[in-house]
Amino acid sequence: MLQKATSEAGATTVRRRWYALLLRDRFASAAALVLVLVALCAVLGPLLAGDLATRQNLRAPGRPPFSLDHGWAFVLGSDSLGRPVAARLLTAAGTTLAVAVPAVLCSLVIGSVWGMWAGYHGGWRENVSLRVADVILSFPSLLLAVVVLYVFSPSAASIVLVLAVARIPVYLRTARAEAAELRSRLFVDAARTFGTGGWATIRRHVAPSVLPTLLTVAALDFCFVMLAESSLSFLGIGIQPPDVSWGLMVAQGRQELQSAWWIALFPGLAIVLTTVSATVLASWARMTTDPGQRWREGVRRSGRRARGARGASADPATRDGAVAEPDTTADPDTTADPDTTADPDTTAGPDTTAAPGGSRPTGTEPPTPADVLVVDDLSVDVHTPAGPVHVVRRVGFSVRSGETLALLGESGCGKSMTAHAVAGLLDPVAEVVGGQVRLDGEDLLGLGARARRRLAGPGVAMVFQDALSALNPVLTVGTQLAEPFRIHEGLSRRAARARAVELMERVGIPEARSRADAYPHQFSGGMRQRLLIATAVALRPRVLIADEPTTALDVTVQAQIMDLLRELRGEQRTALVLITHDLGLAAEHADRVAVMYAGTVVETGPVAEVFGKPHHPYTRGLLASVPAEQHRGSRLSSIPGSPPDPGAVPAGCAFRTRCPMARERCATHRPALTGTGAGRAAACHFGKELADA
Amino acid sequence: MLTLLRRRAVSSVVPLLVVVLGVFFLARLTGDPANLYLPLSATPEMRAEFAARNGLDDPLITQFGDYLAQVVHLDFGESLRTAQPAGEAVLRAFPATLQLAGWTMLLAIVGAVVIGSLAAYRPNSATDRIASFLSSTAASVPDFWIAIMGVLVFAVTLGWLPTSGTSGAAAWVLPVATLLIRPFGVLVQVVRGAMVSALSAPYVKVARAKGASEFRVVFGHALRNAAAPALTVAGDLAVGLVNGAVVVETIFGWPGIGKLMIDSVLQRDFAVLQAAVLLTALAIFALNILVDLSHALLDPRVRQRAAA
Repeated sequence: MLQKATSEAGATTVRRRWYALLLRDRFASAAALVLVLVALCAVLGPLLAGDLATRQNLRAPGRPPFSLDHGWAFVLGSDSLGRPVAARLLTAAGTTLAVAVPAVLCSLVIGSVWGMWAGYHGGWRENVSLRVADVILSFPSLLLAVVVLYVFSPSAASIVLVLAVARIPVYLRTARAEAAELRSRLFVDAARTFGTGGWATIRRHVAPSVLPTLLTVAALDFCFVMLAESSLSFLGIGIQPPDVSWGLMVAQGRQELQSAWWIALFPGLAIVLTTVSATVLASWARMTTDPGQRWREGVRRSGRRARGARGASADPATRDGAVAEPDTTADPDTTADPDTTADPDTTAGPDTTAAPGGSRPTGTEPPTPADVLVVDDLSVDVHTPAGPVHVVRRVGFSVRSGETLALLGESGCGKSMTAHAVAGLLDPVAEVVGGQVRLDGEDLLGLGARARRRLAGPGVAMVFQDALSALNPVLTVGTQLAEPFRIHEGLSRRAARARAVELMERVGIPEARSRADAYPHQFSGGMRQRLLIATAVALRPRVLIADEPTTALDVTVQAQIMDLLRELRGEQRTALVLITHDLGLAAEHADRVAVMYAGTVVETGPVAEVFGKPHHPYTRGLLASVPAEQHRGSRLSSIPGSPPDPGAVPAGCAFRTRCPMARERCATHRPALTGTGAGRAAACHFGKELADA
Repeated sequence: MLTLLRRRAVSSVVPLLVVVLGVFFLARLTGDPANLYLPLSATPEMRAEFAARNGLDDPLITQFGDYLAQVVHLDFGESLRTAQPAGEAVLRAFPATLQLAGWTMLLAIVGAVVIGSLAAYRPNSATDRIASFLSSTAASVPDFWIAIMGVLVFAVTLGWLPTSGTSGAAAWVLPVATLLIRPFGVLVQVVRGAMVSALSAPYVKVARAKGASEFRVVFGHALRNAAAPALTVAGDLAVGLVNGAVVVETIFGWPGIGKLMIDSVLQRDFAVLQAAVLLTALAIFALNILVDLSHALLDPRVRQRAAA
């Protein structure tokens, strides 16, 4: 809802300042200038050129261009009848626009009104309209024109008619799609409830939303109509001499190609210049009327430089709620240079208390040799037009083999981003800006792409949240499960498939042998999650990261999936990192927990101890907001306020604005993660007090 | 699969019937059909004789029945120019166009897949921006002008390629290149867009998490998903190729159906025009079914929906 509101607000500002935006884009301004010039030529052409375009001048036939000795008229040469090409070009601009503009306007008006009507009402009106559009569009427009112009004799008016009819369906379809989309929205519903008439609703609510899109379509259509008219004229069934059009001039130039190449060259250039300008302007208009798209494109540009990051450009918004904030609130016009990548620490305020060597997750304990995965001081930035946003700030934790660590936090706290950074699957907009990720002592972040790929699967594997979109819809599950074996073990298709079937049996897919040929959409949600887990554990990874593996599932299936993960962890001695916002899930399945808030780990320790006696006010608040037996009869509390926007984390302690214990010190000094007991650590100035209380 | 085929055939037959009806009514309702079939210089006696021979004095409904029977038997009357059956003339011209269009589409699709994927791989990179600008330019240039400039440069000035004819590989270069340019430009943009969204899908991330090479990610995982939207557009472009074929065949003297159509318009040979239009409509009908079949082959979900 918020997103919708802001994007609509964006649209109004865009409408108000479109010319300012246009001037900012050099390319689009040039295109607009060309179109204005062509229009000027069309209007002023007859005044400037007079009858020069059609008057034969047998004293000056076949003059080459750039011969200025007879004045400016022959600057582009003349044809075999001595008519100056420049004058003919000017006159032809008028003819061309006189066909293209009315044709586009006719089809725009008729098609969009028809389309909005069809889309607004739906039902049979919509169906019949779409069928009509299909019929017209399924027939090549030039062919239609050929037949009609055969029966009625060719003239400017009949060309306009034919082209308008041929293009109506394009607008009809666009307008219908947009209107049908709006039909389901609330405000149209509301208008209908108030008894506002159909046409009034369309005019007041539907038309303004649809218009920008339709105008973009019209700009592209202008190209099409111009090209069609010039093709017809070229073929001799369009504009007829003595009138001049650019297409006709090319046709004439074709006759004299050997002797006077310039006659065909210049009108063609004029067509290209006009159509390309219209295309450029149309794509500019599409970019500006859709702020989301423009923002994303801008981000991709900066993301390109991200270290080790590769193509996948899934919107970070889809995974972490708060990371989505810049998408909707950032002004799409501010294209601040994303290169001013500030060190996360310099902006983090007077962070002087952090111990050298970073924040040891286990506080005072050195990492034990059994730690498979050690994440140390990991920082991740997301590049936005407004500059980098520090979404993960000096995060550290470690996991042993056979152990489950829960990475716990609200959505937007950076836990998924941390996981993706560890797995090397960050989107191009995100970049690791500091820290280490060590797998068995080897820093993964220092590895090249190839070495990293070799570890993807046997080293670090990942189970994703939404199994439906995480499985490729057009490949059989057998193929997808066989892939790890094909890639890493070089198995033959047949052998890999046998392993895939074994794997399916292992994760509890009934009738695995025959189901291997099925596609993801033919499985239930729980089965799909099992398949995804099977893919991840295929090569017995040393670390398995499960990113909210059960969020999309119902409760009974959740339990089954968690049991499966637990079994596999025990069987393969895998270190499991369970990313979740579910305290119950963490309590039940994890050995240790790392609680994250605003991009940092605020507390870590054995799960029973942390939940039994939290050493950080945030963890305390979280636990107090969960309904539980011991709270029976008392009021369920919640943490006041909401997590900070990742782009505007308060200086000092990020939690202080919501913390009941906050003092002055919290505003100036960021607390580092420090030991508060055996295996425990908390990032709070009062961690010790809480521990001793 | 058969259900899908049947359903699609039924729905595509409507445009076909509209064309059949349209040609009939255009020919009858806009005046004396003799005006359409006979040269302008025809005498009144010729007209009367023509009307009697073709049953034009019968009631409209009888005429329509006769017309339908003719269409079903692919009997479109005789060409005014050559006095040959019009249907035969069109069928003879058909393979030339089909070959031209086939090669063009093949090259356009292969080229667009490669270039569109390269552009989509790193959105907004230099490659992407160059490819996007060139393809949008290619999609909006007038093909007839490109053809003539091609003739000017490669045939007239350099003398490397022939200006017309169909003999030898060299004769194919300019016609195919000209016909190619617009569908190629459009298709590059479509493939790019589809690949950008496919490459940002979670399953691509999963493929990378499996350690798949980038080649495998792009061509094994993303491309098959991007193929469906590209295929739809490719189908539309193939239909639109008829437009281009008319132009290109006229310029290069290619003995195909497009040139036949323009010639028959310019020489007012309605029998041939009618045959060409109806057969083209039939070919488009077949093409649409082919596109739908490919959709089903590419996407298992389409297969399932069709079976349901």
